[in-house]
Amino acid sequence: MTPALKNQLRHLDWALVQLLDERARLLATTPAGDPARAPSIDDLLRRHDGPCSPELLREVFAVIDRATPPATGSGS
Amino acid sequence: MILRFVRGTPEDVVQGVRARLEREGHRTVRSPERERPILAVIGKIKPAIFVELERDPAIEARVKSDIPDLVLVNRAFREGPTIARVGSVRVGGDDVVIIAGPCSVEGREAVLEVAHAVRDAGAHILRGGAYKPRTSPYAFQGFGVEGLSQLKAAGEAVGLPVVSEIMDAADLPAFLDHSIDCLQIGARNMQNFSLLKAVAGSGLPVLLKRGLAATVEEWLFAAEYLAAFGAREIMLCERGIRTYEKATRNTLDLTVLPLMREWTHLPLLVDPAHAAGIARIIPPLSRASIAAGADGVAVEVHPDPSVARSDALQALLPGEFARLVAEARVMAAVTGRRLHPPPGP
Repeated sequence: MTPALKNQLRHLDWALVQLLDERARLLATTPAGDPARAPSIDDLLRRHDGPCSPELLREVFAVIDRATPPATGSGS
Repeated sequence: MILRFVRGTPEDVVQGVRARLEREGHRTVRSPERERPILAVIGKIKPAIFVELERDPAIEARVKSDIPDLVLVNRAFREGPTIARVGSVRVGGDDVVIIAGPCSVEGREAVLEVAHAVRDAGAHILRGGAYKPRTSPYAFQGFGVEGLSQLKAAGEAVGLPVVSEIMDAADLPAFLDHSIDCLQIGARNMQNFSLLKAVAGSGLPVLLKRGLAATVEEWLFAAEYLAAFGAREIMLCERGIRTYEKATRNTLDLTVLPLMREWTHLPLLVDPAHAAGIARIIPPLSRASIAAGADGVAVEVHPDPSVARSDALQALLPGEFARLVAEARVMAAVTGRRLHPPPGP
């Protein structure tokens, strides 16, 4: 892998983490068990035409859902 | 000139330098920084005094502004960015804020409806004009004091601080009486110096829009006026400048944002609505503004733009605004920032 490609990957990974953190902040006041917390994966997959397989994306979002901290009640 | 002292310099040393300069006839202003004292010196320093300052071991750097007399808003005058507090909302720093509301306050129920819509979609500050600077003297001029009352009531009902444009220093008591959280100086009044002086002494944060044909230097000097006359929390707002291009109402000058970040510590906002004048291009311009480093965007929202009493063509529908906020959240995150949390009580 070239240094340039590695650098691009690092930036993408960093952006992914930022987005996951923001998703968690947004959900910080939504109680655990609220159906709104779950990713609308079916809707996402309907519009998805990238190289990631639907199975992989389902798995990734299941992990994201589990990893999102429960509501603290204090706002984000 | 701006004198940046060595971190931890005792205050009596700083005050000694200050007294020396003031004996020479200079006005000096001490920045609020505690750890690293910073002193702004107004006026040209005599060569002999400058030599003294160069030899003073307590002074780490002497920053000469590229633009003489532009000191209080100069980036070097503060260690970090200025954070302006509009109600409980902090403008500047890491967070991105969204300011939204009707162009004009059109009645108690109407402004309340918009306030609910923008609050629910994620806006942080409610905007609304009670005094309207209109090109035509026959166009709707705003409801004046009654408009301020309606705007504030709507803001309180939904828990958002409010910002509104002041056009005349004589109206300042009305803004204070109605506890308006932030005073806006519109583009047409950017160089209305008597208004700037009056507003600066109010103690309220000020949102200063860029003049229709103002250079960055003129804009920063308008902010310097505010700072020199007492304003501590000033926000700059790019809203498009007049060019030969007729496709849009004005030309949104995002090129200045990264440069302004180098030149000033003040928060930078963008009003893409007045620049574009076309509602459908406001969302991409908002994203571009955040990508270019804006600390927030200000847009106009109306439930039925076809009956809006001013700027109908640039008003977003509530649904369009909600989408804009969602996109702003993504754009803020991927540029290493975040949307400001919802305003607290």
